[in-house]
Amino acid sequence: MTTLAVTPFHRRVRTFVRRLPVFIGVAILLAIVAYPLIWLLLGSFKQQDEFLSEPFWSLPRSWSLDNYVEAFVGGGLGKYILNSVIAVFPSMFLILLLGTAAGFALEVMVWKGRGAVLLVFLAGVMIPLQMILLPLFTIYFKLHLTGTLWPLIITYTATGLPLTVFMMATFFRAVPREIFEAATLDGANIYRIFWSVGMPLVRNALFTVALVQFFFIWNDLLIALTFTNSQDLRTIQAGLLNFTGQYGAVDYGPMFAGIAVNVVGTLVLYLFLNQKVMKGLTAGSVKG
Amino acid sequence: MERLLGNPRAVLVLLGPALLVYSLVMLVPIVWSLVYTVYEGNAVSGFEFVGIDNFVRFFNDPTALEAVGFTLRYALILTVLQVVVGYALALLYVFFLKKASSLVRTLVFFPVILPTVAVALLFRRFFEAAPTEGPINSIMEFIGLNTFDWFGQPDASFWVILMMDLWRSMGFYAVLLYAGVVEIPEDIIESARIDGAAGWRLVRHIILPLSLPVLLSATIFSINGTLKVFDSVVALTNGGPGTSTTPLTVYMFQTSFSFGQYGYGSTVALMLTVMCLLVTIFIFRASRRDLTRNEK
Amino acid sequence: MITARGHRRRNLSIVAAVGVGVIALTGCAGGGGGGSSTKEFTYLGQTQNTAISGTLDVLAKDKCAAAEKAAPLKADAIDGTTWDQQLQLLAGQDALSDMSMAGGTPSLMQEFIDSGKVLNLSETFKKEGLEGRVLPAAESTIKALYGGGDLYALPTEFNIEGFWYNKQILADNGIEAPATWDELVDAAATLQANDVQPFIAAGKDGWPITRLVGDYIARDLGPDALKKVADGDASLTDPEYVAAADAVAELGTAGYFGAAAGSIDYNTALNQFLTGGGAFFYMGSWALAAFNDQEQNKIGVDNIGFTPFPTVEGGKGTIDQVPANVGIPVMFTEKGYDDDVAQWLDCVTANYGDVALNEFGQVTGFVVNNPPADQPALTQEVQNIIAEAPSSVLWFEAAFSPEATAVSQKNGGGLAAGTLTGEAFMKLVQDANK
Repeated sequence: MTTLAVTPFHRRVRTFVRRLPVFIGVAILLAIVAYPLIWLLLGSFKQQDEFLSEPFWSLPRSWSLDNYVEAFVGGGLGKYILNSVIAVFPSMFLILLLGTAAGFALEVMVWKGRGAVLLVFLAGVMIPLQMILLPLFTIYFKLHLTGTLWPLIITYTATGLPLTVFMMATFFRAVPREIFEAATLDGANIYRIFWSVGMPLVRNALFTVALVQFFFIWNDLLIALTFTNSQDLRTIQAGLLNFTGQYGAVDYGPMFAGIAVNVVGTLVLYLFLNQKVMKGLTAGSVKG
Repeated sequence: MERLLGNPRAVLVLLGPALLVYSLVMLVPIVWSLVYTVYEGNAVSGFEFVGIDNFVRFFNDPTALEAVGFTLRYALILTVLQVVVGYALALLYVFFLKKASSLVRTLVFFPVILPTVAVALLFRRFFEAAPTEGPINSIMEFIGLNTFDWFGQPDASFWVILMMDLWRSMGFYAVLLYAGVVEIPEDIIESARIDGAAGWRLVRHIILPLSLPVLLSATIFSINGTLKVFDSVVALTNGGPGTSTTPLTVYMFQTSFSFGQYGYGSTVALMLTVMCLLVTIFIFRASRRDLTRNEK
Repeated sequence: MITARGHRRRNLSIVAAVGVGVIALTGCAGGGGGGSSTKEFTYLGQTQNTAISGTLDVLAKDKCAAAEKAAPLKADAIDGTTWDQQLQLLAGQDALSDMSMAGGTPSLMQEFIDSGKVLNLSETFKKEGLEGRVLPAAESTIKALYGGGDLYALPTEFNIEGFWYNKQILADNGIEAPATWDELVDAAATLQANDVQPFIAAGKDGWPITRLVGDYIARDLGPDALKKVADGDASLTDPEYVAAADAVAELGTAGYFGAAAGSIDYNTALNQFLTGGGAFFYMGSWALAAFNDQEQNKIGVDNIGFTPFPTVEGGKGTIDQVPANVGIPVMFTEKGYDDDVAQWLDCVTANYGDVALNEFGQVTGFVVNNPPADQPALTQEVQNIIAEAPSSVLWFEAAFSPEATAVSQKNGGGLAAGTLTGEAFMKLVQDANK
C-alpha cells in the first residue's frame, strides 16, 4: 500500500491532473451533442431562403414565431401530437404491465418449458417488422379496426413486448432468489410477491425500459404510416412529413418548429422519468 | 414454496396476456408471411405457388447479396461501437462524474429524442459539399485537404451513416448500461479497492465481469436493431449512391411494396430473420462460455 | 390466509380485465371505421398534393353542388412516401376509394387494370357522352404510360419538361438558347470556361439526370425507342442507346453539373437556380409555382426562359415532341362506380381544368374554357406549348419495370457526378428490367 505515504493534497492534485483529459473529453462530448439542439432551435426561427443560402451556423434574421404558427395552424400539429399521445401512452402502460408480469413468470417462477417460452419471446426481437405488415393490415382490416388508432396501440404493444420481457427477465435474474423465497415463507401469495416484492425491486429497470420503449414508439414512422390511412389519425412523426412537397420540396422553417415542439415535449418527459430513476437509485445504493 | 413459485395457474395469469398478444400480433403474421415465401405475386394480382424458386433467386441475386454484405458490415461495426462507446460512457458516469452525471447523461441522451428526419437533415448539412459547404468540408479545407463529396462515394456514405447512428444512439446505450453498472453492489467494489485494484484493473477484473449480463443484453439488443436498420438509411442516403448502402430491410420493403413481389420480399425478410437468429445464438454461446469461465 | 385469498381474487380480476380488454381489442372492437353505410363520394390522395383535394372542395361547393348533394365528397389523404404500399394493401382488401390518386409506378397501375379494379374511362366517356374534355396530348401521355390503348386516369396535372435558363447569364456569356445538343454542349463549355456552372440538377433524386438520357434517346432514335426496350425488341446496352447515356455522362465528367453533383437534393437545386447559381436547369413546368414566387425567386421571373430539349443531329425525333408527364393522375374504381359517382365524373371532367388553373394555378390536361385574365408571361408560354404540341414523349423509365426504375433513379446521380460511365449505367438498368 504505497498510497499511504502520499498526503491528501498531493493526491488531490494528482487526481485532478489524471482526470483533466477526461474533463476535456466530456466538454467536447457535450459540444458534439448539444450543438444540434441549438441548431434546431435557431432553425425554427429561420425563413426558407436562410436555410438554403446562408451558411450552416448563421443566426436567424428575426425571432418571429411565424414558423410555429404555421406548424400548428397550417400543419395541424396539435392534432398529431394528441394522436401520438393517445397511441403511445396506453401502449407503454400495457407493455410495462404485461412485460413485467411475463418476465416475472419466466424468471422467478419455476416451471417446465420456461426457457423455451423465453426463447420464443427472444425470437420476436429478431423479426423484421416489415415482414408482418401485410398480414397485420389484412387482420386489422377484416376486424374493422382501420380508421381508428387501435392498430397502432395493438401493434406497438406487441412489438414492444419481446424486448421488455427479455429485459425484465434479465433484471429479475439479478435479484437474489432468497428475497422471493423469504417472501413465500412469510405466507404471501404469488401475485402479492409479484406486485409488492418483485415490482419494487425492478423499479429502476422499469423506468429504464419505459424510457427505451417510449422513444421507440414515439419515433416510429413505419407502423404509423402503414396502419393510419386517414389524415385525422396521423401521429407527430408522420405529421412532420407534411412539410415535404410532392416533388421533394421541403418547408424547412415550420418543419423545424414542429421538431422543436416535439423535442421539447419529449425532453420534459425524459427529465421527469430521469428524476424518477435518480430517486429510485438514491433510495437504493449510491456509487461513490 | 416451490409449489407456490411453480403454480401453473399463476404462470398462466402472469404470462398469458403477454404471450397471447405477442402470438396474435407477431407470431401469427410471421407464420402467415412464411407461407408467402413459396409463392410469388402480391395482394393485388394474387399469389402463385413457386416452390423454392424464391430462395434460389435470393442466392443468385447480386443486389440481395450486396445488401447482405452491407447489412452485416454495418451491424457488426455499429454494434461494437455502440456497446463500447456506451459502456465507456456508463463507466464515465458512474466512476468519474458520479452524482454530477445527471446533466451530462441527459445531454448525451438527447439525440435519441430527435426524429430521424431531423437527424438526417442535420448530417446532410454537416457533410454537405456543394453548393454551400458544410462544417466538415470547411474544416478539411482549413487544414489543407480537398473538399469531399461524402454522399457520392459508397465507403464515405457508409461511414457517415455509421457516425450518424452512433451519434444518435450512444447516449441511449450509455443509459441502458448505466442502469446495469450502477446496480453493482458498492461493497464488492470497495473490497476490491482495498485489495489494491484500481483504474483499468478494477474495471477489467471486477466491473466488467459483474456487468456482463447487461452487456450481453445490450449487445443482443444492439445487433438485432442494427441488422434491421431502416429509417436512418432511408432518410440519409436512401440506399445510395447506387444501391451501395441498401440494407436488407430496405431491399425487402422495395421488393414487397414497390416491385409488387411480395413472395420474394417475404423470402428476403426470412433470410434476415435467420441472420438475426444465427448472430444472436452465436453471441449467446460465446457469452455462456465466458460467464461460466468467470464464475469458476 | 383470508387476506391472501382476497388479494388473489382482486389481482385475478385485474388480470382478467386486462385479458378481456386485449381480446376485445383484437377480437370484436369493430364498427368504428372502414365501411360507410350512407353513400359518400370518397377520394384518397397524397398529403403532399393539396391541389386536387382543394379543387374538389371548390367544385363541391359550386359547380358540383348537385353531385355533392347526392353523394357528399369525403376527401382524405395519406403520406406519399408509402403511397404504393398503401394502395396495394387497400386494393388487396378491395377497399380503394371511389376516386384516388393513381399508383406511383406504372406497373402497379397495370396490375390494377389487369385485375379489373380501375374504371376504363374511355368506355365510360363513350357511354356517358363525356368525350372531348381531356386534351389530346394529355390523353396520349396517360395511354402511353399505362399501355393498352384506353384511358384509365384523369390528368389532374399536366407538365412539360425542358431546359429553363437564366437569360441574364446567357446574355452575359453571349449564348443563345441552344436548339441542338452540340450547341448545348458548346454553350456549357463556354460557361464553364467563364466560371459559371452550366447545369443545375438534383442528382441525389436521380430522375433529373435520367430524364436527360431518356430525352436524348427520344431525339436521337425517335419517340418509340424506349417502348422497344420495354417490349424486348431492343436493349439499353445496344450501342445507339449507350450513346445517349454517354452523352450525359460526358457532361458529368466535364464537371458541368458542379461539385458533388450526385448529392444535391431538389430544394437545393431549385434554390441554386433561383439565386443565380447556374445557367441551365432541366425541370418540369410544375416548378412555375416556385418561379412565380418572389420570395423564392431572386433572379426574377422575367429573367427565366424556356427552351425545349434540343435535337440531336441526324436524329429521328423532332423538337416539337415535348417531354411531358401527368404527375400522379387520378383513377376511379370499378367497384365504387355508380350513378352518384357518374354524376361526379361528369362534373369533374367538365370543370376541373378551369377551377384548378384559376384557383390553384395548376395546369391540367383538361380543356380550359375560361382561362384567367392575367397570367405571368412564362406560364402563358408554357400553356401555349402544351396546347400546340402535336405529340408528347414519356420519360426514360416510364415503360420500365419498377426495379429498373429504382435502379435507374438511384444511379442517375452517378452519371452527373462523373463516377459512372454511360455503358455501366445502361447495363445496370437493363439487368434490372426483366
